[in-house]
Amino acid sequence: MNALAGEGYEVEFRPDEDCVRMSGALRLGGLAEYAPISAMLEEALQGRERLVLDLTGLEFLNSSGIATLSRFVISARNHAQCGLVIRGSNEIAWQGKSLNNLKRLMPSLELRFD
Amino acid sequence: MSTEQADTRIPFTSGLTFRQAAATLVIVVFLGLVAGFIELVTDWRSMRQEIQQQTLATLELVRGPATEAAYQFNDQLAAEVVDGLYANPSIGQAMLQDNFDGVIAERGRADAQPAGPLVTRLFGDITDYRIDLHHGGVRPGTGELVGALQIRLDEEAIASSFMERSLVIVLVGLAKALVISALVVLIFYFMITRPLLGLHSAIGRIDPTRPGEWPRPRFRYHERDELGQIVNGLDRLMHAFQQVMAQRDKARDENTRLGAELDVSRRIQHILLPSPEELASVQGLDIATYMEAADEVGGDYYDVLSHADGVRIGIGDVTGHGLESGVVMLMTQSAVRTLLGTGEADMRRVMQVLNSTIYNNVQRMGSGKNLTLALLDYRPIGDGNGEDRGQLRISGQHETVIVVRRDGRVEIIDTDELGFPIGLVEEMAEFVSEITLELQEGDVVVLYTDGITEAADEQHRLYGQDRLVEVVRSHYREPSERIKQAIVQDVKRHIGTQVLYDDLTLVILKQR
Repeated sequence: MNALAGEGYEVEFRPDEDCVRMSGALRLGGLAEYAPISAMLEEALQGRERLVLDLTGLEFLNSSGIATLSRFVISARNHAQCGLVIRGSNEIAWQGKSLNNLKRLMPSLELRFD
Repeated sequence: MSTEQADTRIPFTSGLTFRQAAATLVIVVFLGLVAGFIELVTDWRSMRQEIQQQTLATLELVRGPATEAAYQFNDQLAAEVVDGLYANPSIGQAMLQDNFDGVIAERGRADAQPAGPLVTRLFGDITDYRIDLHHGGVRPGTGELVGALQIRLDEEAIASSFMERSLVIVLVGLAKALVISALVVLIFYFMITRPLLGLHSAIGRIDPTRPGEWPRPRFRYHERDELGQIVNGLDRLMHAFQQVMAQRDKARDENTRLGAELDVSRRIQHILLPSPEELASVQGLDIATYMEAADEVGGDYYDVLSHADGVRIGIGDVTGHGLESGVVMLMTQSAVRTLLGTGEADMRRVMQVLNSTIYNNVQRMGSGKNLTLALLDYRPIGDGNGEDRGQLRISGQHETVIVVRRDGRVEIIDTDELGFPIGLVEEMAEFVSEITLELQEGDVVVLYTDGITEAADEQHRLYGQDRLVEVVRSHYREPSERIKQAIVQDVKRHIGTQVLYDDLTLVILKQR
């Protein structure tokens, strides 16, 4: 299991569950600071048929984070062999519009709101 | 500074050295006096005993000749005995009597001064001695009483040696007190007082603005004792102060910088807004606008640009707050105006150019900033019946567009599917579409940013789209300016005393 953690957030990659779980509030400054998370997501995508990105515990994600997720989804779209599922929460305000935009970037993306 | 230093000057009598000397002196003198008094009393007692024993021994010594003289009425022998006794300077009077109290021989000082009261008090009770003289007894006190030998001691003479000794004791005691005080003061001065004075002067010279540079004193032989510890402790304290002050200064500078940045952001946001004259000159539309920056300025954007065929209205919201958001908003404003100048009417192409302009610049900035942006193209269309109408094309993803028709019907247009966040991804043209509305006279269109609908009250309840729609519905018959005022007042009432967390932006369009 790989994990990245910082002040107020945690990103865990569980290869055996085909799952990356992001939780807390992510407000890193700029795209460069999101590079390790970006790398972890890309790594999770490799050689996998299905990947679940669990955002149900991610209370806040700033614009650089949303940009990082958008890039990741485009990358997943371009590597069509891996099915991507994103789990979000109706309780969390930022997710509604942003996750729908991700779905528009990748129509095969499966979006599940708890 | 000079007055503070004057305050640290200590009057001599309040100084440590003086007080130490005075205290030591008083204590040593007092103890010396007590010890001297005890010594004198002991002395006095033993002296009295000694005098009594010596006197009695002296009398015993002459008992034999005296008895003989009294028994034989030998005046010459009697005179010798009495003279012999009287030769002792401490004996003031000597007298030999027969057994009928007749004086056989007597010597005395006629000029003897009466003794002082102190002397009488000390020795007055042991001056008189008398021994009875018996003749023929085996043991003293037996045999026939033949007379008595009497002496009286000279009080002054026996007291004088005592008085001399007293004087010596007192003087020595005083001298001892002085020497001990001097020694104590000297030892304490070198061991404690002098370093303390040095420390005191060092503390007095601390510059309150730079405590870390205080003149730290170095005391030889005190590195490991309490004084050394005090100096070390103070040194650490001063450096801690210095550090805190440096942090405070840094925070203040940072605040100043942020404050300046916010001022710049605030100016950026307002510097390119359309003037009331521009708005008033728009054909066919009664337009009112409102923008209020949050405490931490956000990136709200709106613009109303007239051109030959009508007017283009833009409204958007750059993510985040501060200077960067302001810069992105400024770039958007210029790009929108530039694209209008090229005469490009295809919204998909307009959005694509805007997106790639902003995307590439945001990449340079290394930030993930993006913005929601709706562009509305308004074109007046006359129907020839004297009634004005207009056509409104809406494109781009932003908040909803609220339309209240002249008959009070409300239409809410969701713009999510009309576009995509600008600057978020490299290609987004495929997500752009547009819808077209026809506006009749009296129809009202309200554009806003999420600062309005997400304005929170004290219980963190959001203002919300429903309440916004209600306010518009209650005022849609009034001019745009009045509708705007009603909304702003209601939002402000909702916010109450809460801090404004996001910019508030409103654009009201009403078909004339």
